[in-house]
Amino acid sequence: MSHRLSGPERRETILSAAQGLFADKGFHGVSIDEIARAVNVSPAILYRHFDSKQTLYTAVLEKFASQRQSYVDTIVNHGTRFEDALAGMTQVYIENIAKNPDILKIELHSLLEGNPATLAFFQNRWKSFTDYIEFGLNELLPYDLPNREKTILTAGLMFQGMVREALIQKCLQPQDRLIDLSLYELSNELVVLFLRSIGINKTHISRKATISS
Amino acid sequence: MSDFDSELDASGLNCPLPILRAKKAISALDAGQTLRIIATDPGSVKDFEAFCKQTGNELKSSGEEDGKFVFLIQKGA
Repeated sequence: MSHRLSGPERRETILSAAQGLFADKGFHGVSIDEIARAVNVSPAILYRHFDSKQTLYTAVLEKFASQRQSYVDTIVNHGTRFEDALAGMTQVYIENIAKNPDILKIELHSLLEGNPATLAFFQNRWKSFTDYIEFGLNELLPYDLPNREKTILTAGLMFQGMVREALIQKCLQPQDRLIDLSLYELSNELVVLFLRSIGINKTHISRKATISS
Repeated sequence: MSDFDSELDASGLNCPLPILRAKKAISALDAGQTLRIIATDPGSVKDFEAFCKQTGNELKSSGEEDGKFVFLIQKGA
């Protein structure tokens, strides 16, 4: 049956199997033979589409990049208030990962594997948040705040840690301690907590930006 | 005379900051005036197309200069 696939279809099948295997075992844990076996082709046919395991891995990351949800809608529709846009961006990000937890798994593997290009790829995804928070706080925080610069830098990291941990808890933990909170509610609560920590007191985020389940 | 009314350098910034800053800069312009934006995030090409489509501003040009992305947006009525 498999010989009937067209070239692009075959490529897509290989890519999809490789994504799953890299997500489960990391880059070093998977061999080309294993990926070829998973899609029922010979390694020679696989090499016709991807000349190395690295090329295949890069193609998986490129696929993630092309699926990246843009934050343009958020900025256009949620207003320019710091907290509303932040809540909207967080919603877009977690929805993207919840739909495709392989992205999170590959990110966590990459942290242990230490491949600079892959680390830069994931760092860049978080940069949207850290840049946004640094820029926003620079405008919002009083100029005479003690340790202002350190606070701004740390706040970005704090936010990244919160959201990533929420995603790990909700997408990867087999036993969910926070079963009563949906990922969306959890993320909303975290945004509110984060805002409180930087002096923006809100019990809820504006209706439009409120994360709905 | 320059062929734009205002300029925004968003080099080194990731989406959504270039969009957010452009939105603020455009709100300070009068209808028909233009904003030139310089960005380095490759995603900004698609982002500014979507931004203009959604906001009724016109993307007069979009191109690459010295490895950076340059956009010219005219504020809509």
